[in-house]
Amino acid sequence: MIPEMIIKNPSSVEEVLQILSNHRTKNKIIAGGTDIIPGFHINSPRFTGIDVLVDINGIKEISQIIELDSYFSIGSSVTFSHLQASSLVREKLPVLYEAASGIGNKQIRNRATIAGNFINNAPCADSVPALLVYDAQVVVKSIENESIVSLQDFLEFPYKTILKNDEIITEIRIPKKNAHLLGSFYKLGRRRAVAISRISLAVLGSVENGIFTDFRLASGAITPIGMRFKEIESFILGKGIDRDLLKEVAVKTGSKILEVTGLRWSTPHKLPVLQKTLYQLLVNNFLENDEK
Amino acid sequence: MKSDIELNINGTAKKIFVEQSKRLLDVLRENFLLTGTKEGCSIGECGACTVVLDGEAVNSCLILIGQCGGSEIITIEGLEKDGKLHELQKQFIDKGAIQCGFCTPGMAMSAYALLLKNNNPGIEEIKEAIEGNLCRCTGYKPIIDAVHSAVKELNDS
Repeated sequence: MIPEMIIKNPSSVEEVLQILSNHRTKNKIIAGGTDIIPGFHINSPRFTGIDVLVDINGIKEISQIIELDSYFSIGSSVTFSHLQASSLVREKLPVLYEAASGIGNKQIRNRATIAGNFINNAPCADSVPALLVYDAQVVVKSIENESIVSLQDFLEFPYKTILKNDEIITEIRIPKKNAHLLGSFYKLGRRRAVAISRISLAVLGSVENGIFTDFRLASGAITPIGMRFKEIESFILGKGIDRDLLKEVAVKTGSKILEVTGLRWSTPHKLPVLQKTLYQLLVNNFLENDEK
Repeated sequence: MKSDIELNINGTAKKIFVEQSKRLLDVLRENFLLTGTKEGCSIGECGACTVVLDGEAVNSCLILIGQCGGSEIITIEGLEKDGKLHELQKQFIDKGAIQCGFCTPGMAMSAYALLLKNNNPGIEEIKEAIEGNLCRCTGYKPIIDAVHSAVKELNDS
């Protein structure tokens, strides 16, 4: 059952911030609603006691994908269908394109937004590993302040971010220097569409003359929150690419994940799947491209 | 809170005074008696409640009416024109793409949304368009065939 609430439809970020700055009411931003509305049905504590829902659909300044001098700006209420249809995203941010295309189904992608995907910091959010490998930054605004933080720092704990009640994410910034890198996104769900990720991974990097000159690896579902594997990234840098190195990386990543999550009931299944998958992902993206 | 909401449903401007947090699905069924739109899972997984909102297929169970002011909505009832079924509807019947019929309106609306954007989709594009619509009895092949035939008929005529 959906509780009775006031729904406001501001037409600018300024207006949103005015509404959010009223602390006498409990305010919550709604965009696509694909997380919030099912949350109402199960009385999720994340969505109880809301007085005012602030609908940010239709605010133009946060629903655009723009190329600027040093970064790409993706508005927080850009939908996954919009990301999927953007030639800029498809050509320059292929890992994000892949992640966006596999989310939910057509109807969900038509409504669900990029910031809405990671705002609740669920590990299964498919945009997260993709955004992490691109060093994405999040622009957070309140009526008094504007701050820019890395997505990694924004994602504080499982199901918790640093966003305060009177703040809104306005955009996601991706440095343009990452646009030339190769990579891909992998998702294992229980079926092809409308599947919650059980394992999600993103890799991004470049190999020049057989040597890794850049490498990033991020997980989503499989660690408590999406994260980069900095130790593994620095281990691989400067090394010559061959199958043995990629195997070593897959094995090391598996051990690192075990260290982070501890032994779980799903470990005997997930760990070998993860290692094999990561190995294959690395071979496909870096070795076979290099051998061509 | 109740408020006046103006929107366009199946080509006609409408105004209602309604609880803002009522779902679009419930407003269509209860306030406008457009019961072709079905409720299945209520969480956006089955697609039975699919309607076209401003040109895009959406789950009407995941949208609150307070988010719909000024929108244009097309439901399954809006496909028929002057007493004649839309080609999609004809082909669903012709190809036996209906058994219990519960998923049919949602399937047809997802296919209709596809045709609004792409007048000559291939099989893969048809499959992607209906990936959010579950059918538990017909199986998907007759449905895909029906959409494919509708595409051919619409392009030939």
